[in-house]
Amino acid sequence: MAPSSSSGLTFKLHPLVIVNISDHYTRVKTQLNPPPSVCSSGNGSNNGEAMLQESPRVYGCVIGVQKGRTVEIFNSFELLYDPSSQTLDRPFLEKKQELYKKVFPEFYILGWYSTGSDAEESDMHIHKALMDINESPVYVLLNPAINHAQKDLPVTIYESELHVIDGIPQLIFALTSYTIETVEAERISVDHVAHLKPSDGGSAATQLAAHLTGIHSAIKMLNSRIRVLYQYLAAMQKGDIPCENSLLRQVSSLLRRLPAMESERFQDNFLMEYNDKLLITYLAMITNCSSTMNEMVDKFNTAYERNTRRGGRTAFM
Amino acid sequence: MEGASTIARKTWELENNILTVDPPDSASDSIFHYDDAAQAKVQQEKPWASDPNYFKRVQISALALLKMVVHARSGGTIEIMGLMQGKTDGDTIIVMDAFALPVEGTETRVNAQADAYEYMVDYSQTNKLAGRLENVVGWYHSHPGYGCWLSGIDVSTQMLNQQYQEPFLAVVIDPTRTVSAGKVEIGAFRTYPEGHKISDDHVSEYQTIPLNKIEDFGVHCKQYYSLDITYFKSSLDSHLLDLLWNKYWVNTLSSSPLLGNGDYVAGQISDLAEKLEQAESQLAHSRYGGVPASSHRKKEDEPPLAKITRDSAKITVEQVHGLMSQVIKDILFNSARQSNKSSSDPSDPEPMITS
Repeated sequence: MAPSSSSGLTFKLHPLVIVNISDHYTRVKTQLNPPPSVCSSGNGSNNGEAMLQESPRVYGCVIGVQKGRTVEIFNSFELLYDPSSQTLDRPFLEKKQELYKKVFPEFYILGWYSTGSDAEESDMHIHKALMDINESPVYVLLNPAINHAQKDLPVTIYESELHVIDGIPQLIFALTSYTIETVEAERISVDHVAHLKPSDGGSAATQLAAHLTGIHSAIKMLNSRIRVLYQYLAAMQKGDIPCENSLLRQVSSLLRRLPAMESERFQDNFLMEYNDKLLITYLAMITNCSSTMNEMVDKFNTAYERNTRRGGRTAFM
Repeated sequence: MEGASTIARKTWELENNILTVDPPDSASDSIFHYDDAAQAKVQQEKPWASDPNYFKRVQISALALLKMVVHARSGGTIEIMGLMQGKTDGDTIIVMDAFALPVEGTETRVNAQADAYEYMVDYSQTNKLAGRLENVVGWYHSHPGYGCWLSGIDVSTQMLNQQYQEPFLAVVIDPTRTVSAGKVEIGAFRTYPEGHKISDDHVSEYQTIPLNKIEDFGVHCKQYYSLDITYFKSSLDSHLLDLLWNKYWVNTLSSSPLLGNGDYVAGQISDLAEKLEQAESQLAHSRYGGVPASSHRKKEDEPPLAKITRDSAKITVEQVHGLMSQVIKDILFNSARQSNKSSSDPSDPEPMITS
């Protein structure tokens, strides 16, 4: 099993990469196992429904940027790899790299990805092959098995480390932790697709409901996490669980971080922004009122037009 | 408490005609299968040639949407463009994937330049090798900040495309409005052939268009129609996205829509002010003209002041939503004011820092 990494690099993964890998895998899988409707149309249906192929392994490259000790993985693309001969299609890789460089000039190859349940020995070959492009590539592994009891994202990131085993320096995979990083636009579209929210405005009430529901779910998650922490601490206090000082230190530092912002300037800015928004609301209400007034005046004038045919003056205004 | 919230949710769902889509299982993944023979057959038959309104719906995959929105946002205020790959299914165009093209600022050019074509060919070839078998089925570009519609140049480009590269779809994304409103602003369009008269009872959804673009919009808005967009994802996608929420909720809570879009909002408000001035001068004329202008207007046009009111309401609603997020965060994280203030940096979340 892979030990934890000790390189001290922080990894940030964008959701686009995860969706990319999942799409690649789904494509290859459905192309290998055509759906029953196509089979029955009678062209080449020798595989039939009985023989369901094993989940194929797909391979690809991940690209992104590395700034100092932070590695941020933005995007990915497919690779051609022949598992039987264990050769990587080099010209294809270079071609793809060139194409992606044109559109995303700041990104470069950070590593590679694959699907499967665990890292295997043969993966080291690909890893070593990529080492001439990036001297320390990362390996992103996605487990495509759908397990509904799972609570955690089935994506693991491995780094390679040189360890001396039995007197021979060998490269082994070491597990690293990562965080999910996102930009606002990405978050909105992921949210949109994940929950299939109504895409057009609807009334103001539904927009409000949608917005608040999102925040509500996030707060619920926060609450449940805090509750877990609280129960853990209560158990520690009672003596059910041995005291773990490092954890206590972390919790204490977390608590000291509240309140999050305490300065005078923050308060001033916050209140100013609050007032600005209220002013905008006020202006909108005035516009609304004046528009309604205007319509009323128009209707009034139309209704009393008879009185103004002679002379140029309107009856009341 | 559980009972009340389920009732509330059911009422909301009923109000919005939310169809509960069964969670995609592996049977529905069949949409990902590319059937070469069926596609070739449809290409020969060309059912769209006889009916300009043939394609009515668009289905976009989760991956394509994500890629397009991220690409559009990365362009900032510059328009970007790219191509979409997919297939057709009856009267639906299905978009499976999208990729960016290395061209910039296409508003002044009718067609992408030669090196973009080369890129397109190269990319399609490598894609076919990698197992993405679909053909190019449309193009997308962004209108940062000014809404989803086709400009004059876009209309002529699309008409050309629909002559030589059928079936073809045009998609427009507005990344600025997406971030500001908190929902994806996207539109899919197909143009009518030259000389086709749009039926008068066709009502399009109202959009806020800035003053400097409104002429371009008005001249061409009858030359194309918009298609309904729905989204789909594979079973693995939805499983992953569900799990992603376990880590993602932090970002939802810490997002600050107000901060990222300051320029855009200021632009919207000044644009609104200009429109108000214009409307005011129009109204002044009608008063002294004697006969009110309203009697000459067609029933479907709203008086300009009503449009302005709608625009101002929209801007306000977005701002208020943003303010609500800020206030909630303040209550959550700032109300625990204690006497022992720590001097360590406040973090997690910091409302004043753009995410």
